[in-house]
Amino acid sequence: MKTFLIPAAVLVLCVTAASAWAAPGTVLRNEKLYSQPSASAKVAGTVAKGASVGILAKQGGWLRVTSGKTTGWIRLLSVRAGAGGLGGTRVGDVVGAATTRSDPSRVVAVAGLRGLNDEDLKRAQFNADELARLDALSVMAAQARSFARQSGLAAVNVAELPKPQPEQSSSPWGDN
Amino acid sequence: MKIKLMLLAVSLVSFSSASAGFDFGKLLEERLSKELNKDKQTQPTPAQTTTPAPAAAQSAAASPPPANQKIDARQLGFALFGDYSLEEENRIGRQISGNLLGAVPLVRDNKLQNYVNLVGKWVALQSGRQDVTWHFGVLDTEAINAFAAPGGYIFVTKGLYRLLNNEAELAGVLGHEIAHVTQKHHLKVLKQSSLIGALGQAASSKAKGSDQVVQNLIGNGAEIMARGLDKNAEHEADRAGMVYAARAGYDPWGLPSVLQDMAALPAGDNRTSLLYKTHPHPADRLAALGEAVDGRLDAVRGKELADRFYRIK
Repeated sequence: MKTFLIPAAVLVLCVTAASAWAAPGTVLRNEKLYSQPSASAKVAGTVAKGASVGILAKQGGWLRVTSGKTTGWIRLLSVRAGAGGLGGTRVGDVVGAATTRSDPSRVVAVAGLRGLNDEDLKRAQFNADELARLDALSVMAAQARSFARQSGLAAVNVAELPKPQPEQSSSPWGDN
Repeated sequence: MKIKLMLLAVSLVSFSSASAGFDFGKLLEERLSKELNKDKQTQPTPAQTTTPAPAAAQSAAASPPPANQKIDARQLGFALFGDYSLEEENRIGRQISGNLLGAVPLVRDNKLQNYVNLVGKWVALQSGRQDVTWHFGVLDTEAINAFAAPGGYIFVTKGLYRLLNNEAELAGVLGHEIAHVTQKHHLKVLKQSSLIGALGQAASSKAKGSDQVVQNLIGNGAEIMARGLDKNAEHEADRAGMVYAARAGYDPWGLPSVLQDMAALPAGDNRTSLLYKTHPHPADRLAALGEAVDGRLDAVRGKELADRFYRIK
């Protein structure tokens, strides 16, 4: 009994710590905050695109967030984690990434961690031995099905998601 | 449509050889990008044969274009018109994958690699594309990235794998890459770049097993993997990846959760520099997915399988 209580206590502590600590996030579109993680739950408030929230917890496709005095559940895809604000294109890391072509030393600069940059890819020589190793790892459909069954995974019908309305009339080839 | 293309091929090739001074490459580019874009409007027909291509190759071989035009008759035969055949797709995929593995090897952990192959194959079984042999590998680099090559070759880096918390997240990431293969995104880019005259520029490789004809088509090494796809292809793969994972019985929120974790990484983290060069920022991907998903997956109840998830050492 005692040995069970200790991990339980640790778990409770962790959960409490997690909910007390709010990670920063930014709202990606005008949204409702619900009292429960469900679109049929009572609406507790609204948040506007670009608003900052504190992320308290995650459950399936929902995040529990605080916005001002309101706390509620918002769709996971309506918030971005991190303090980077709205959108990504103007964030510094993207600009930084573009400069690595002329300065490949930047990529391997982190504490000896090996990176992988476009120069590495361009210089790469065909490695038949590694490819043979990869071939040998391939599994049969029957193995995959049995693996899925072991954890109770079963195929379900899920409809394709619709293609969003075109934002601009650019050709599918452009904008690379 | 096909007859028209064939006529176009033959007439273009013979026309250019008749007038050597004419800018053959440019003409091809303009005419074909028009044809290809027209193609995009209609539904892609499966297994378009490459009948028109040999015709083009033969006339080109009979009267080779001037050397300074950088067009190699052998590549004209490589499905310049119509879709790539399955055999061509496999050859392209093997060459790209062999090169990628030349840049970074597989993690020497067979349990990990087997686990990823089992999850990947199970997800791929839901993708509707069973004419390719699916291969999955974890690459030994701390860079955070994942790659797909034609013919069913899928790679995730050790750096990305370390970000994952459960099997549903792995399924979502693999689903995204599987979608690049089912939608033939790289083949479309390759088709376009070969049309605009990037042919015959690859450095010759003496490496064992290397396919020089394909190498000429894909450029140097695995640089095609560093070039990236257009953002619409990435958004399409995000949507399909979520759906494939959900169809496999997983919690559909795996891929978005990984994107959230990436979005929360500090700006300028070197491990993500190549990823952000070739992909839209995770915040943009989350926003685009949000528009497409809305409440459509609210009723889907899948498994996360955190217990079975193989933790990397």
